[in-house]
Amino acid sequence: MASIDAISRNLMLDSLKDYAKRRIPYDLIRELDAANEFPADILKEMYDPNILGVHLLMIPAEYGGVSGGSFDIYRVCELLARIDLGIATGVFATFLGTDPLNQGGTEEQKAKWLSRIAKEKLLVAYGATEADAGSDLVNLRTRAEHVVKNGKIVGYRITGNKQWISNGGVADLYTILAMAPGGPSWFLVERNMEGFSPNKHEDKHGIRLSNTAGLSLDNVYVPAENLIGLEEGKGLLQAQAVFGYTRLMVAAFGLGCGTEALEVAVRYSQQRVQAGTPLSEKQGYTHKLIVPNAVWLEASRAYIEEVAHKLDAGDHGLQTEGAIAKYSATEAGNRMAEDAIQALGGYGYTKDFPVEKIKRDVKIACIYEGTSEIMEMTIYRGRWQEHLKSRGRYYLDQADQLDQLHAKVPCVGAHAAALALRALGAIMEECRVQKLTRHQHVTFKLGKLIAAAETAACFARTAAAERYSETVRFDKQGWQAMARVYARQTALNIAVEGLALVLGASDQAGSLSDAVNLSAVQAEQKGQLTDMDLVAQKLKQTFKAK
Amino acid sequence: MNTVVLVKQVPDTTEVKINPETGTLIRAGVPSIINPYDHFALQTALELKKKHGFKVTLVSMGPGQAKAVLQLGLALGADEAVLLSDMAVAGSDTWATSYALARTVKKIGKADIIFCGMQAIDGDTAQTGPGVAQHLGMAQITFCESVEVDGRRIIVRKQIDGGHEILEAKPPVLLSMVMTKDYVPQYPSFPAVHESLKKPYHVWSAADVEADPQFLGLKGSPTQVSRIYPPPQREKAAMFSGSGQEGVDKILDIMRREHFIGE
Repeated sequence: MASIDAISRNLMLDSLKDYAKRRIPYDLIRELDAANEFPADILKEMYDPNILGVHLLMIPAEYGGVSGGSFDIYRVCELLARIDLGIATGVFATFLGTDPLNQGGTEEQKAKWLSRIAKEKLLVAYGATEADAGSDLVNLRTRAEHVVKNGKIVGYRITGNKQWISNGGVADLYTILAMAPGGPSWFLVERNMEGFSPNKHEDKHGIRLSNTAGLSLDNVYVPAENLIGLEEGKGLLQAQAVFGYTRLMVAAFGLGCGTEALEVAVRYSQQRVQAGTPLSEKQGYTHKLIVPNAVWLEASRAYIEEVAHKLDAGDHGLQTEGAIAKYSATEAGNRMAEDAIQALGGYGYTKDFPVEKIKRDVKIACIYEGTSEIMEMTIYRGRWQEHLKSRGRYYLDQADQLDQLHAKVPCVGAHAAALALRALGAIMEECRVQKLTRHQHVTFKLGKLIAAAETAACFARTAAAERYSETVRFDKQGWQAMARVYARQTALNIAVEGLALVLGASDQAGSLSDAVNLSAVQAEQKGQLTDMDLVAQKLKQTFKAK
Repeated sequence: MNTVVLVKQVPDTTEVKINPETGTLIRAGVPSIINPYDHFALQTALELKKKHGFKVTLVSMGPGQAKAVLQLGLALGADEAVLLSDMAVAGSDTWATSYALARTVKKIGKADIIFCGMQAIDGDTAQTGPGVAQHLGMAQITFCESVEVDGRRIIVRKQIDGGHEILEAKPPVLLSMVMTKDYVPQYPSFPAVHESLKKPYHVWSAADVEADPQFLGLKGSPTQVSRIYPPPQREKAAMFSGSGQEGVDKILDIMRREHFIGE
């Protein structure tokens, strides 16, 4: 779906912000967090079309929704995460649970169920994960057996157990993945169906406002019309088709949590005076705890937006891109939250300040919808194919484009990003020649380096644009400095870590330091400290002390 | 009745800082919002619409992005919106702005009640609303807290020093609204925003409203802003509670400590 116009989107975001300010103050969140309590009344209000109707974003207008696109959903997910990632997860579970219907449902099924979700404020849960089937859904144990009457399949009997299901204990409607005789298939299961029961609410490290529970299905009878798409065996394809998109939502969660933690830390740093000056004036503080994370978050934002625009323009799949977005933004958000505790010192370690909770919450974003390690593997697999297909030109061609950009706009780190891509291309080629990808460590590490290089390239392209996105809160000078800092750091990391990776796996890497162009990468580091100073100043201007 | 609400898009002044060297506002990255007084005026008009079925037309003047405040009003329940957008009105002071807005109201046609906020939080002049009434030769009541309508009687509670007055007017009248303490600004739901796109929205030029160019923009503005500067910050006053004697003792302690009086 194409995205909503910017004014409408921002009005919706304002409404959500206002609702959160009035109804979900931090004191309440803290109380619910301590009590490990799911705020059912708040979720129902958020789904109420007369109050907010946030879940309608996922539902096409013809079924009573507002037809949100990927960019809209990213913006709302980021804001939800800034409010509370537990509540965000409750909303996300409905988005995710609705996805198999949106993707694979027949017109009649969509008309019936999507309209009901819209009107009746149904909380939905996505029931895929099992004890032995997480990212590896092939091991699915839940079974759906035919119920035949007069030679015709009239329904299914579903038996099995699901685990770690968000909204598991509180949803009204469940989309359940089960192994039917024709293969993995999605079924619509209502809460009140006989033989269906949710298990206890998990006592989690974070996102404690989100209900997470296992599900037991004991011979649950489901009419044949509840088989999504009315065709067996399409379940895994339907699940995978939306990864680019659903992982983008989790990427937005990482970004939201990280940005919230960043803001808290930057505002605090201007008030806390030590040895005569505020912490915000000390490089030992800003350049370690704040600036590197801020530029990583902004790079991730640029990447998320590029993917969202591609999805809204009709690109399908984008699994590798979705994985890069999720991996980069959630790892950045997690790191920022960790460093925000450090940045607030003793205060950060208490529950009086929100960063402690953000840190506990954001960790899940590195786990659900595919762990960071699964992302590394997915990213590697996707781009390794491109590397092979292009005979090693995949990143070299992109580097050429960045150098052309650098010739036109020399202040956005495009040359450093080009160095990063060339170094990456050289490392991947060396891995191919020496057959190093037989080591899992090498493949996962390549996934990490690929994500960094591609986000740096995207950040440079975005910072060179005439007009910036509505989300950029920095002026041109500040955002371009951020792109430069990130690109230089990435080029250095890829050259050094890539070199170490190859050297560690093989002893034949004598000439690789030339191939990764280490001397050029080193030369490119000039100006990094001045830019970091500038970024620290811009952050202070943007997130003023309250 | 036909009602018109005048609304303005303003920078969120809680986020605006003044550049001490140039004396200009630092607007970068500062979000724009509906002027809070206008938001209150809008909600007052919409309550009357609910009770009496009045038509509510919104009017704003500004660049294209001012559509945001008009769409907010449409999503909250207004029927129609007009944006007067023209380079010719850029730089208008309150007099030229009120002339341009008056021309726009005139073009809309019949306006029994015009609602506006008392003042905009960016300029704080409180002159534009009264100016519109003046240009239209219409009665006006300022400092209105609430409005009731009974047939053709418009009954207004007006804030005055130390209390309030109840005034009655006949249409047409312009009411400039102050916010009451219990006021909670409303925001629209997602589907209401979605539906608002279907409502009539017009962008008019100065020529469309037959405004005389010599009364618009810098040329038509008798006042010019020479400088903007932040007010000097006052030190916070210390407040003491307790009995009169305790308060006096505490104040005397401070005066002794600060050497205003001897021991």
